[in-house]
Amino acid sequence: MRIEVPTDFGYTDEHGLLRGEARRFLNERLPMQELRKRADAGVAFDRGLWKEIAQLGWVGLVLPEAHGGAGLGWLHLEILLEEMGRRLVPGPFLGSLLAGVALVEGASDAQRARWLPGIASGDLVATAAVVDAAGAFEARDVASTAEPVEGGWLLRGRKTHVVGGADAGLVIAPFREPSGAVSLFGVDLPAAGVCAEAETCIDPTRPTARVAFDGVRVGADAKLAGDAGAAWRAMLVRGFAALAAESVGGAESVLLTTRDYAVARKQFDRQIGFFQAVKFPIVDMMCGVELARSLAVGAASALDQRAACAETLARMAKAQASDVFANAVRKGVQLHGGYGFTWDCDVHFYFRRAMWSRAMLGDAIHHRRWLAASLFEG
Amino acid sequence: MSARAEETESKENAEFRREVRAWIEANKPSHPGFKLPQSFLEVESERQFTFLRDWQRKVFDAGYLGLDWPAEYGGKGDPHKRQRIVSQEISRASAPFLVNVIGLQWAGPTILAYGTEEQKKRYLKPILSAEEIWCQGFSEPGAGSDLASLTATAEPTDDGWVVTGHKVWTTLAHFASWMILLARTDSQAHKYAGISYFLFPMDAPGVTVQPLVKMTGEGGFNQVIFDRAPMKKSALLGQLGQGWQIAMTTLTFERGAAEGTGGGSATPSESSVRAVAQLAKRVRREGRPAADDPVIRDRLAQLWITEEALRLTGQRARTAGLNMEDRPLATRLMNKVVYSELGQQLTELACEALGPDAGLWLGDPCAPDKAEWPRAYMNSFGVTIGGGTSEVQRNIIGERVLGLPKTK
Repeated sequence: MRIEVPTDFGYTDEHGLLRGEARRFLNERLPMQELRKRADAGVAFDRGLWKEIAQLGWVGLVLPEAHGGAGLGWLHLEILLEEMGRRLVPGPFLGSLLAGVALVEGASDAQRARWLPGIASGDLVATAAVVDAAGAFEARDVASTAEPVEGGWLLRGRKTHVVGGADAGLVIAPFREPSGAVSLFGVDLPAAGVCAEAETCIDPTRPTARVAFDGVRVGADAKLAGDAGAAWRAMLVRGFAALAAESVGGAESVLLTTRDYAVARKQFDRQIGFFQAVKFPIVDMMCGVELARSLAVGAASALDQRAACAETLARMAKAQASDVFANAVRKGVQLHGGYGFTWDCDVHFYFRRAMWSRAMLGDAIHHRRWLAASLFEG
Repeated sequence: MSARAEETESKENAEFRREVRAWIEANKPSHPGFKLPQSFLEVESERQFTFLRDWQRKVFDAGYLGLDWPAEYGGKGDPHKRQRIVSQEISRASAPFLVNVIGLQWAGPTILAYGTEEQKKRYLKPILSAEEIWCQGFSEPGAGSDLASLTATAEPTDDGWVVTGHKVWTTLAHFASWMILLARTDSQAHKYAGISYFLFPMDAPGVTVQPLVKMTGEGGFNQVIFDRAPMKKSALLGQLGQGWQIAMTTLTFERGAAEGTGGGSATPSESSVRAVAQLAKRVRREGRPAADDPVIRDRLAQLWITEEALRLTGQRARTAGLNMEDRPLATRLMNKVVYSELGQQLTELACEALGPDAGLWLGDPCAPDKAEWPRAYMNSFGVTIGGGTSEVQRNIIGERVLGLPKTK
């Protein structure tokens, strides 16, 4: 169980440039009033914005250059996702990222060449249907089935909380074969038998959907050629790290907003941040954010270095960032007082994001259970 | 550290780490058979002290202390990373701690920063070799968290000063040759401006060291009464009236927020979560191994997360681009509050894992691990209170890092 943290994160000036570029673009393109407009109109996915982000190289950031990606590492992505999390960037980024990873890790060259360039360019919106029946997402819990038929497969099952599911042209999803083995399939959408229905998501910036596979016929080449177990696991681990990074960014934003409010707001003839009952929770919020950021950076760096501890760090990061973000919004609303309870105060958007992100890909309880097993039995 | 860390470490450092590890394995003393202190806060008896001093001397003689201090003062002029490797390996091997903590970590680096050439030549090497032990005279009965309200005075004489006053919580005073001392030299000045910083000789006449008993029932820290105790002109560190500023530097070292210490570690050993996990496998709660209790498992997993996060934060602090540009000090200043509270939560959880046996105290033949866990839990308060309480730390972080309004 001893984990060896990277002694060098591999940070370069290039990482700093990406952060600056992302912050400038998002400050300009997605100020809060813009986000509110979209939320009020019920638009979580905007193809124009998606193309812009893709042209900046973000959608294909960690995809191989040979397939149109930027070929950068997970520390780059960590930094980008922190910035995106700060601004609550709407859209299917997470779904697209996971689909890309599943293809990189588990597809044949032909399959990669078929799908990845479209993903990286933003023309093909892809997603991974991660959550199976009953909220489960680890490979052992996959209940959806793939039945071999003449020339291909027949897919059945229900996937939920699929990010970008209603807008996607490609969905990657796991199905269990009669042998018990879980395989990954890439299904082009729309397809006969696939019903993608938008969910009403607590977070208006997440375009999620329920996707039902009701006897969907796919060709033999829809099944990803690689080791599905390894690919699924690699995808999940990267998903933990990605959601952690994004949550750190969200929590950072709530921290700054709450700090500013505690400095600006006066009661009893004083700035409320003077009172330790207000000051200390903000300090604890900061300590939590910094600890979570260290884990997110450590996990990203471990992924870049293909270190054995990457899964442990990614799960730690997801657990910590989920709790820290949840704590930040809880205190954030509370410390804004009556204003914090209103729609006008921006904190509730982060509150919604925190609620969704904590529950997705395993909350802290889930990951601590895994970590405890590794600690005691590993 | 294992293979993984060594891969990313430079060849030279990895080689050095292996050398240090081998040396510690071959040279670390076996348990002497009498009760050893858990930290430098409770070195009670002469034999405990001698045992620990000899160990530090051995580490120094082997060339593993003061690595990043300049060669002319007994060091080696190496990068700080080297000293950190030694500290990590001592902690990893569960070898005894280095007893002259206050000298190595607080007084030494402060003297390096503010001392005259003469002072550096005089004081630094005996700190490394443990020939001269240091203690700290900052807190007073009426000046704790509000340290700047201290009232001990240093009155000028023909060839120096005489000190009158009362200092408390002076760990190691009964073995110390020197004290870093804060005393008021100008009663008319603003309270921060009237303080000066001295290197005070503990063998001066007019000094009385009295033991204080800790909540564990053990000794190890003291109070020191000064009755017109003399010191020479050369005892002044820095300028007259600069004491508060220098004291803040010392506290930065004390809280683990700056690099440049001569060695050793005041933070909990890096294997502490692992030690509690081992304990939980050995002891039973309600008839089952404590390690089977889902609540114990969940809480220990959380502390493991915090422990790793803190370790990574220490590393991240050294990469400017990975720190928030508007609060570059955050990762350093939060260190003390997080590690001290982690140590407290961890030792408390260990006690809970013990079930009813947590009620057995030092000396009971059936106490698990000789009651080290309840003792460690009580001692953990020395860390959350000493060196600036967690509450004061939160004020500092809130005000200096986040720009929140000042409490004072």
